[in-house]
Amino acid sequence: MAKKIMIDPITRIEGHLRIEVEISGGKVINAWSSGQMFRGIELILRGRDPRDAPLITQRV
Amino acid sequence: MTHYLASVRAVENAVGVQIPDNARIIRNMLHGAQFQHDHIVHFYHLHALDWVDVVSALKADPKKTATLASNVSEAPWGGVPYFKDVQNRIKTFVQSGQLGPFNNAYWGHPAYKLPPEANLMAVSHYLEALRLQAKAARMHAIFGAKNPHLQSFVVGGVTCAKDLTPDRIAEFLFLWKETQDFVKKVYLPDVLAVASFYKEWGGIGGTTNFLAWGDLPESDNEPESLFMPRGVIMKRNLAGVKMASPDEVTEHVAHSWYKGDAARHPYKGETQPQPGEYDTTGRYTWFKAPRYEGEPCEVGPLARVLVAYAWGKKEIKEIVDDVVSKLGIPLTALFSTLGRTAARCIETVAIGNAMEKWTMELIGNLKKGNTKTYESWEMPKSAMGCGLNDVARGSLGHWVEIENKKIKNYQLVVPSTWNLGPRCKNGKLGPVEESLIGTPVADPKRPLEVLRTVHSFDPCIACGVHVIDPDSNQVYKIKVI
Repeated sequence: MAKKIMIDPITRIEGHLRIEVEISGGKVINAWSSGQMFRGIELILRGRDPRDAPLITQRV
Repeated sequence: MTHYLASVRAVENAVGVQIPDNARIIRNMLHGAQFQHDHIVHFYHLHALDWVDVVSALKADPKKTATLASNVSEAPWGGVPYFKDVQNRIKTFVQSGQLGPFNNAYWGHPAYKLPPEANLMAVSHYLEALRLQAKAARMHAIFGAKNPHLQSFVVGGVTCAKDLTPDRIAEFLFLWKETQDFVKKVYLPDVLAVASFYKEWGGIGGTTNFLAWGDLPESDNEPESLFMPRGVIMKRNLAGVKMASPDEVTEHVAHSWYKGDAARHPYKGETQPQPGEYDTTGRYTWFKAPRYEGEPCEVGPLARVLVAYAWGKKEIKEIVDDVVSKLGIPLTALFSTLGRTAARCIETVAIGNAMEKWTMELIGNLKKGNTKTYESWEMPKSAMGCGLNDVARGSLGHWVEIENKKIKNYQLVVPSTWNLGPRCKNGKLGPVEESLIGTPVADPKRPLEVLRTVHSFDPCIACGVHVIDPDSNQVYKIKVI
């Protein structure tokens, strides 16, 4: 009997990570990795002076 | 600091400025310090407890632990009283019912294989590494002003010109040496000691394709002079390693919460969020799915070490051969969770060693009167640029398009997206997804084995696990570190 396990959240550095796995016969048979937060850095940078980019992106 | 470096390089590429030697060397020294710091923290504080059972350490004989420790490492601390003291500190934690940093984990899980003495030794090194990493971070403060978020890099060079004095350089070298001694005398021996109990993990958690942009340029000549070389390996074929080109990168969004399903190069990249339901048959993540020539690629320490090995890079190859022979495993066992964790340590040793050489080169330049740290430049009206980097977690690219002296478009393709991204338009699994398939899970309510592989890719973790039994819909909530 296949079981699904969801581990959520996994990371706190690159946003929230969710891992879902399907287990059958004591082994993982399928897996899904899901980033749970939107990273809007690209949109923040538009229209700004290119010299701002290093200081802003460092905060990703 | 890594995005800082990537972004400065992308803008420098766009505006067409070549930074002076000293700026390149100082950036490498700070980047090297980042590798040392990040990898030590990852191994001891984010990954070791997947392999080390803290509670079992209470059963250890401090005398036997002292003997074991002096056999496996040249750690500057040890002895029976030392290990007794560490054990007492853990006991205090456990008896108070507050495990502190060791709270919420799968202690006693049958997949833990270390004897109590090895567990006690590893826990003591966990605590020592906490102190050490605080010192390692100070290297950044010397030429970067502070840590985190350095502030001495600017488009055209670095601004720490006033810190290029004998005192400040000596301070850097002092911290470097203490850190690198730890890497060579404690971190590497610990990785070997722990890995020797988990050799079956040399066959679990592997992926197929590997990409490294490479980093740490040793001259203006890139990519040829990169200390960690650039390259791509497909289908685990080391002999077929080839030069990697950013032109071959596309990002897919067919299974991600963005509009459309076109695969685009980062210069043509779009970021049009379209929030939706979590649906593993449809869209299920905010990550895009980067592909190289249409294929998912693992990035990070294992990819870098394999690429360097495949190109015959001496400084990496000799450590890899040594590790493989000491563990008595075939080279192919590196395509695994064990290989990923070992590769992280291997590159720390190699990069840490190279940092001394770079610092001496800087001193040599200063002695010759070459104190230049900045090259002036002018903002063009329009330009496009790309910065390719390989940072602690893996290959990192920034792409910038400038129009009317302002940013028109900016795209980041980061290590976590490469490794943790979802299926692409063609249904190919992302590297972490692929790596998990076949992983044994002894107890679905305590999926320690899954965490081992996910952690080996170096996402930081503080998580709640929700185990759902589809038959009963019963939800178990288990907190893990």
